[in-house]
Amino acid sequence: MSSIISDMDPATAQLILPELLMLGGIIAMILVPNFGDATMRIPLTKIRIPFLIGGTRFATTNNPKLPNQIATTTLALAFMTSLLFLSEEGDVGNLLHVDEFSRMFALVFSAALLLASLATTVRLPARPKASAPLDTDSTVISDAKVNALIDNRRQVDFHILLLTTGLGMSLMAMATNLFMLFVCLELASLSSYILVAFHKENDVGGEAGTKYFIVGSVVSAIGIYGMSLLYLWNGNLDMTDLAASWDAMEGMDPLATIGVGLMLVAFGFKVGAAPFHLAVPDAYAGASSPVAGVLATASKAMGFVALIRLLLVVTMPSEGQAFWFLALSIIAVVTMTWGNLAALTSDNPKRVLAYSSVAHAGYMLAALAATGSGLADSDTSALIVTAVVFHLVVLVLFKLGAFLILSMLEAEGRGHRMEDLHGMGRRDPVIAASMFVFMLSLAGVPPLSGFLSKLLMINGIVNVSAGSGSASASTALSWAQGVDPVFWLAAAIVLNSALSLFYYLRIVLVMFFESPATEKPLKRAPSLRMAIIACAVLTLLFGIGPLSNSLLDMVGSAVDSFMGS
Amino acid sequence: MGGERLIDDPLSVITLVPLAMGLILMILPRVLPNSSAERLIQVSRNISMGVALAIATITTMLFLGQLGSIDWTNITQGGYVLQNEAVDLIPAIGVTWKVGADALSFPMIWLTAILIPISMLVEWDAKRAHLFFPLLLIMEGALLGVFVALDLFVFYVFWELTLIPMFLLILLWGGEDRRYAAMKFFIYTFTASVFMLIGILVMYFHTEAIAGLGSLSGHHFDLIAMTAQENLIPNEGLRHFVWLLLLIGFATKMPSVPVHTWLPDAHVQAPTAGSMLLAGVMLKMGAYGFLRISVTVFPESTIEFVPLLIFLGMVSLVYGAWVCMGQTNLKRMVAYSSVSHMGLIFLGIATMQPLGIAGALFMMFAHGIISPLLFAVAGAFKHHYHTLEIGSMRGIAHHSPWLAAHMMLGWMASLGLPLLAGFVAEIAILIAFWMTYGWLVLLPALTLIVTAAYYLNSMQRTIFESNDSEHGILPDTLHGEDPSDLTWHENAGMLTLAAMTVLFGIMPFIFWDMMSDWSSGFVIDTMIEAMQAQEWSP
Repeated sequence: MSSIISDMDPATAQLILPELLMLGGIIAMILVPNFGDATMRIPLTKIRIPFLIGGTRFATTNNPKLPNQIATTTLALAFMTSLLFLSEEGDVGNLLHVDEFSRMFALVFSAALLLASLATTVRLPARPKASAPLDTDSTVISDAKVNALIDNRRQVDFHILLLTTGLGMSLMAMATNLFMLFVCLELASLSSYILVAFHKENDVGGEAGTKYFIVGSVVSAIGIYGMSLLYLWNGNLDMTDLAASWDAMEGMDPLATIGVGLMLVAFGFKVGAAPFHLAVPDAYAGASSPVAGVLATASKAMGFVALIRLLLVVTMPSEGQAFWFLALSIIAVVTMTWGNLAALTSDNPKRVLAYSSVAHAGYMLAALAATGSGLADSDTSALIVTAVVFHLVVLVLFKLGAFLILSMLEAEGRGHRMEDLHGMGRRDPVIAASMFVFMLSLAGVPPLSGFLSKLLMINGIVNVSAGSGSASASTALSWAQGVDPVFWLAAAIVLNSALSLFYYLRIVLVMFFESPATEKPLKRAPSLRMAIIACAVLTLLFGIGPLSNSLLDMVGSAVDSFMGS
Repeated sequence: MGGERLIDDPLSVITLVPLAMGLILMILPRVLPNSSAERLIQVSRNISMGVALAIATITTMLFLGQLGSIDWTNITQGGYVLQNEAVDLIPAIGVTWKVGADALSFPMIWLTAILIPISMLVEWDAKRAHLFFPLLLIMEGALLGVFVALDLFVFYVFWELTLIPMFLLILLWGGEDRRYAAMKFFIYTFTASVFMLIGILVMYFHTEAIAGLGSLSGHHFDLIAMTAQENLIPNEGLRHFVWLLLLIGFATKMPSVPVHTWLPDAHVQAPTAGSMLLAGVMLKMGAYGFLRISVTVFPESTIEFVPLLIFLGMVSLVYGAWVCMGQTNLKRMVAYSSVSHMGLIFLGIATMQPLGIAGALFMMFAHGIISPLLFAVAGAFKHHYHTLEIGSMRGIAHHSPWLAAHMMLGWMASLGLPLLAGFVAEIAILIAFWMTYGWLVLLPALTLIVTAAYYLNSMQRTIFESNDSEHGILPDTLHGEDPSDLTWHENAGMLTLAAMTVLFGIMPFIFWDMMSDWSSGFVIDTMIEAMQAQEWSP
């Protein structure tokens, strides 16, 4: 880090402006809520100068809503600066490289965290007027008052963790060195473990956090072990250097192969690939909905950045099949099938969404696997990576959007059973219609963006396998035997999507067909409501029309900047 | 596009304007301040009707040649009129907004444009009118979108979009068992169209990029280019597979036995306007899609599967008619007769003759005016007699002469009385069928005769016969009160439909010419080559 600081000049600062903003946000979050009217007397005089830290806090800094406002502003600023300086490119020190690719992901991360931060106002409400319980209060009132006070106290902790998660993720997307990549990944992961456990008011929160932490740290240890093997083999962990050594390698060096394999385990856990996904549904179901949404979108995107860097930059052979092709294909198919089957049998909407997120990881892994089949030229590989990145971008809208809706239910103490969704159509037609859009988009129904991204992934895989399968074969069966195995990845995605329709539609059906337990409309929460509606509208606009095309162009040029380097 | 530049792109206009207007009318009252919102709700019905009438006028003018001056009988085979300049929607994957019409789609477009104002008129007194009428407008836009789209992506989107307004119509304005019916309708048709989507995707992955389309993916959804591409799917087995996937989607919509069971439930529960559109236009989407995509793009596979078509057609025809005879519920009875008539469409296509295919096209149109008439009658029956059980009353001609007259005319047209619209289609299909398959024609012909006899008998009893010359037998649901005859708006809607039934029975050439022109061109250009390649003979 010393090199980064000593190199800091305005140009570099502009390159990492979003990250600097987040850092500033974190510092502000620590300092600002402590500002008070404390003064210091200059010794031997009667002059008191304001000291600011300590004393009685000012009304504004004492406001428990402040941390949320700081986090939201910081993330919004980070999002806007990322968008503004999208095409800036350059090195920061020798561990970080900023290009459109990393900026694109910074956008994804800050957008996801921004939405989560908006939802937290409902999920973890700050109550400026909270008072301590009196002796005369009944237990119920006293409990409510204590809870309100606790919520107020937790504001800073929660939002500071959101910002460190964002900082870790954004830096990770720029890392060109495996060690740096891992450190940033851990910064984000450790913060997210605590965020998962933050849901303390019921039993599952702590359990989920603990489980997620234990599995996560074991997997990280495995990853670090793999990285140390790579270090042993190459002598440094710079990714371009590793790629050069990998290319020059004669045959398969066991040290390198095992090292990469172990790192795949660590990243596989981050994206929620089978069989490392077992902690995922527990973590999502235990965490509060906004946090679960962040795990399902930003955290998954982070895992995919790491995977793309490791697979496509470091270990992609110049020709022929990559050694991980078969393994990754099998993992992909198992992941999507397992996720969908488990989601079918699940009765908790959060678990359904968690398993659906596992299934989506499977689709993206299948697309990535196809790049390693040895049949893909650079254009097709770029198409596939574009599809995956596009999917990760739009996933923020419709996956996180669905979690935001659940967080509205959670605010009234529900959202853990399918019954809680009953009759949403009658209670709140707009929110129910948005959920309908999200579910259809997750299932991949045209013209929503979920379809566009899935179509592009399938398209990439099919283009890879194009030309295989004899045209002269007279029956479908003989054609099927002749076609390249890569094609079956596409077929698996299609079949799984058809399977997944059932549980997505189930959620839609209970919303419109079952009668609700209460006719009371949902909480108003205007900012969250706006966010949900914006997500639903963008889900449609990014699926068809000029906006989808400009987003595709944006992602396409981001991927070009990555593939070209 | 002719001298008049009044409307540059009429097909896009008639598709998008009702969609936009419907959405605006639904959303605007929620956004506006209270007083103006109230007023908007009150006039929402009139605005919807105005839009629907304007669109009916535009399409009629298009047909008469006053707008765009098109000669409908001389469209080059495989060509389309009223095409727009393609607008890029997602150029990277080859999706464009591209519309056009030909003799296959135009009668359906006109039918939709005419049926919407009529069904609005019939349900002029619908509850929650500020939602009902805009919903019908959205329905109109979606239906027209299916018939004008020349891009399979857009086609599929509109295909699915039709589900939502119909689903809501059944769910919000339906009968007692509406939830079950709406859910069944949604699940059946949605699942079937997923199969269709997979078929479309396989077709998509076999296209080659053309200039400016599919820059990223290398493929496109353009239907015209797909049709033009020699041998779209070279592999025969895969092509048959795709054809069958498409068939699942289309046959469920038509519906054909064995995937027809959603139809009677949906019809019985749907409100009158919903039933009219469901039977009049939505069922035709299946036949239209089948001809437009399956038969046009894959003529070889169609010929290969002619026996399957005959089987499905025969079973639908005979089974539909047979079950129809066992029904006591009026709407259910009409629904099964629809299944039976849709079977005839398959038979018409299976003849592989210009006459048979033209007959199928005319059947789509004729059934599109007769079945809405019957459902309007059934709806009015429910409205005035509070029941749909046929056996519960006798001699309704005494109480409701107008209702009885429309009912009689509808049934006569439905069973194929000469000089009414249904006859032309049936006789054309039967003649073509006889020419191709000889004595096999006896089965459909005899079925038609037997059912005709049965209908006549039951209609005679229901409408005319009565034990008591003063009152007849009235159903218990009236609790002894005298039923009223049709209201003015019901009568106006039904009269229009009845007039059309007679008009197209006496002068079928209004549409028949363009249909037979299209069919002979279609058989000569598309089918003959495929038939020769397969050495096909019946």
